[in-house]
Amino acid sequence: MQQYVCARITRMDGIDIGLFDFDRHNAIYYFVINADEQIYLRYGGRDAESATTYLNLRSLELALEEGLRMHENKDVPAITRPQPLFPNEIPLLKKRTAWRGECVECHLIADYQNLHRELDGTLDPMRDMYRSPDLKSIGIHLDVPRGLVVKESSGAVAEAGLQAGDRIMHLNGIRVRTFGDFQYHYDKVSRDAREIRLGIESSEAARELVVQLPERWWLTDLEFRHWTVEPLVYFKTEPLGPEQKVALGMPIDGFAGEVVETDRFYSVASPALKRGDIVFDVESVQRDDLANTPELHIKLRHRAGSAVKLQVLRDGERFESVLTTERQNFRKVEP
Amino acid sequence: MLTLKHWWLLGLGLLSLAIQIFDPGLARGQDTTNILFHDDYNRAIREAKLTGKPIFLEFRCAP
Repeated sequence: MQQYVCARITRMDGIDIGLFDFDRHNAIYYFVINADEQIYLRYGGRDAESATTYLNLRSLELALEEGLRMHENKDVPAITRPQPLFPNEIPLLKKRTAWRGECVECHLIADYQNLHRELDGTLDPMRDMYRSPDLKSIGIHLDVPRGLVVKESSGAVAEAGLQAGDRIMHLNGIRVRTFGDFQYHYDKVSRDAREIRLGIESSEAARELVVQLPERWWLTDLEFRHWTVEPLVYFKTEPLGPEQKVALGMPIDGFAGEVVETDRFYSVASPALKRGDIVFDVESVQRDDLANTPELHIKLRHRAGSAVKLQVLRDGERFESVLTTERQNFRKVEP
Repeated sequence: MLTLKHWWLLGLGLLSLAIQIFDPGLARGQDTTNILFHDDYNRAIREAKLTGKPIFLEFRCAP
């Protein structure tokens, strides 16, 4: 560490967040840069399971060593500096935090950026809410202390040939040196993408793998993010199987799901949903190319705070339930 | 009767105990040199320009 100049930033006012772009729902995140503000690498990142899944002292040491090597060799990644962006250029953020002398927290930046996208009609929930897709969804299980060395592979990446002991070096041709690098660039992959390319180094030889992305590879648990723009529904379903759908006269490619979880003390649906109910229709829609459950359809297609009519099947009887989705206001003052 | 050797051993024992109490990191063989973290980004950039060192930049949620 003595070979570095160290800085700890706890307020984002005055920071070029265009340059220091990262998933703001990380409570801690690191960059290794030079005096010309060129980024060598990133360190940090998390998954829905835990804020610390990918934080590890040994992998941090490896990242710091790599940063020193890059600095010594003047090995600066050839990246065009992004357009500068400062927190006070986000009007809602400025109005509700900076003007009141309140802390400009990282997660507030992300939340207000999404609020602006919602107002502008440019919010893309797949890209803007479902941030930092989980690598485990495509079968990458890392040996965390060793950075991007694979501990175990399964699913899509195993089918592509990724093996334990392989080291991930490139993602779609971009050199990645840490989990932070990988997750950042993986998050930038278009949600419509059907495949990604992984550059691999192993004891044998370097090779490139083409990984076919599974459906909804971008889907993650949003609970820890507290997005204002995420419609909360307070129920969870399991998708019905094709035979169940046929037997119930529902479209086989529909998103009908059986309720497996409801909040014990709180419901936003009237009449309230119960475990075992089958929700098969939302506002006269039963199919969605992207969603395989009614709650995902609501999160992708409806605004937080809006009311939707659900068609529900309970004990052979069909009925309508009106669900008023809830809008969160996590650690923000009321507008 | 305590000899000079006994006094030395006793002194070393007390010193070791004091290190373990007041600086457990050093007792475990870790380098406990204090590292200065700037809280001002521009000051860190200035120092990096002067020293030629790279910058380790931490973003931490304070609340």
